[in-house]
Amino acid sequence: MRLEMLINKRILLFSGVSNAPMERSDAKPISIEEISSISQIALRARKNVIKMQLYDQSIHAGSALSSIEVLATLLFRYRNDCNELVNRNWIILSKGHAAPALYAILAELAYFSEEELWKIGSVNAILQGHPETFIPGVDMSTGSLGQGLSFGAGIAASIKMMNGMGRVFVVMGDGETDEGQVWEAATHVVTRNLNNLTVIIEVNGIQLDGRTDEIKPKTRLGKVWEAIGWNVIECDGHDVAQISKAIDRALDSQNPTVILARTVRGKGFEPIENTKKQRVSPDIARKFIDA
Amino acid sequence: MREALGKGLLEIGAKYNDVMILTADVGDSTRASYFRERYPDRYFNVGISEQDLVGFASGMATMGLKPLIVNFGMFLLRAWEQIRNTVCRMNLNVKLIATHTGFSDSGDGSSHQVLEDIALMRVLPNMRVVIPADSYDINRSLEKVVTSKGPLYYRIGRDYSPPITRDIDYEFEIGKAQVLTDGDDLTFIGAGVPLFDALQAARDLKRLGISAAVVNLLSIKPIDENLIEKYARKTGRIITVEEHNVYGGIGSAVAEVVISKYPVRIKMVGTNGFGRTAKNHRELLDHFGLSKTALVNSAKEIVFV
Repeated sequence: MRLEMLINKRILLFSGVSNAPMERSDAKPISIEEISSISQIALRARKNVIKMQLYDQSIHAGSALSSIEVLATLLFRYRNDCNELVNRNWIILSKGHAAPALYAILAELAYFSEEELWKIGSVNAILQGHPETFIPGVDMSTGSLGQGLSFGAGIAASIKMMNGMGRVFVVMGDGETDEGQVWEAATHVVTRNLNNLTVIIEVNGIQLDGRTDEIKPKTRLGKVWEAIGWNVIECDGHDVAQISKAIDRALDSQNPTVILARTVRGKGFEPIENTKKQRVSPDIARKFIDA
Repeated sequence: MREALGKGLLEIGAKYNDVMILTADVGDSTRASYFRERYPDRYFNVGISEQDLVGFASGMATMGLKPLIVNFGMFLLRAWEQIRNTVCRMNLNVKLIATHTGFSDSGDGSSHQVLEDIALMRVLPNMRVVIPADSYDINRSLEKVVTSKGPLYYRIGRDYSPPITRDIDYEFEIGKAQVLTDGDDLTFIGAGVPLFDALQAARDLKRLGISAAVVNLLSIKPIDENLIEKYARKTGRIITVEEHNVYGGIGSAVAEVVISKYPVRIKMVGTNGFGRTAKNHRELLDHFGLSKTALVNSAKEIVFV
């Protein structure tokens, strides 16, 4: 797709979305039309993530499929590409291994063409195994777990210091919260009351080696965040309306908010759904796509 | 050295209102606290959490501010992976001012003494490494370091700072080394406090009929290839001296240049293990073979053998 066409597509897509800075309490309830648009984007992105396995046998498709609705909602409804650093919203994918989901949605939103998705894994591709800031639409280079929240806190504190209106969203995995740095940052955010920052943790109950219950249970996660001083909201992480409602509540909160979004690893891709498997062979993927 | 740093930062703070000072609860020990008293709104103590410190600074740099991390060198190493994956991968404008490096924290012993940082920092893509020789070098270099773009590791000690560059005049430039004393038979190349001993050794050697040059390397990365090559050609022998492990440190950095430009014999003087507690910094330099006497012996060895 040519650049001009991409830009036109983006103007069309975002015509209803304001690029103006967000005011506190200005969040309008999500409309049926918006839910439908985001769900359609999510549906196509989900298919494309499954298809990306045909081209790259190293992507973390299972983790990416857990993130689709959260990222689609954030990028469609809460992204504003305002030119002023302090008035734009920042979306940080701290669980960088879900990059294919981010890429598929960014392609839907015309940050780059869909053809780029099929080049993933080749040495000359723009898209990398984990997010890099040289990729259009990526706000932080990630890949090593636990580093997104500190970075987001630095942005959120700078925005406050410079009286900006920008918001910061950090998407993490439940397994990722094993990292010590997450807790260094979590207590720091509360200390500075960075209520312009929202964390979304996808609670899919699976980390790299298996079930979180068997490795390091996450059942008390909400209580821990609450005890530290966070506002805790739970929602279904595959339900666009619920995600959106949770984020709107977070934006109005006086405290920093963490949203525990219940998700399913490999959601919508039956051969790996709710397992620790990240992908299947191209043959199986192809059969699933054709069916 | 930390006194010169604390006062230097105040001047920087007055001149640049986008400079932020960040520390992980060592504000008093590093003298970053002077800045806190003058500019409390631009001073951030994140608590005892170095990984978060580095990430937080990275977010600030992304927003166009100039974050300077001021922390014990040892505990910045705890966040080495964050420095690599967050700061260097995005080539962010974060400056790391590492205090208490080398043997300078003599009393705290091996847990606090930093003898590995030069190797670990200079290997990182986009990272630069600068080591001022003394407090005069801090005054010369701090502003240029702070206003340069991109990641930079600035290595200083604690208190002991014998005068090395007090009586000479030069403009500091990142990537430029400085000749402290000229000579023909061998060249001492080093950085930081051990240069004091190298200068004294050069004076003693003169009495023995050996003419030794002393080079203040200052910028380990980028490194002054031209000056190193010039002195390899001129003196034919090099002794590197560093308050750091010889594996991957200043000796290695100099050798990387010499081997490709003009191979000559290099003797590397440094450490190869952990430090230990002592009454003062001086005692440790003597104990670990970074003294004037040890350097004179090394020079005799390389010249006469």
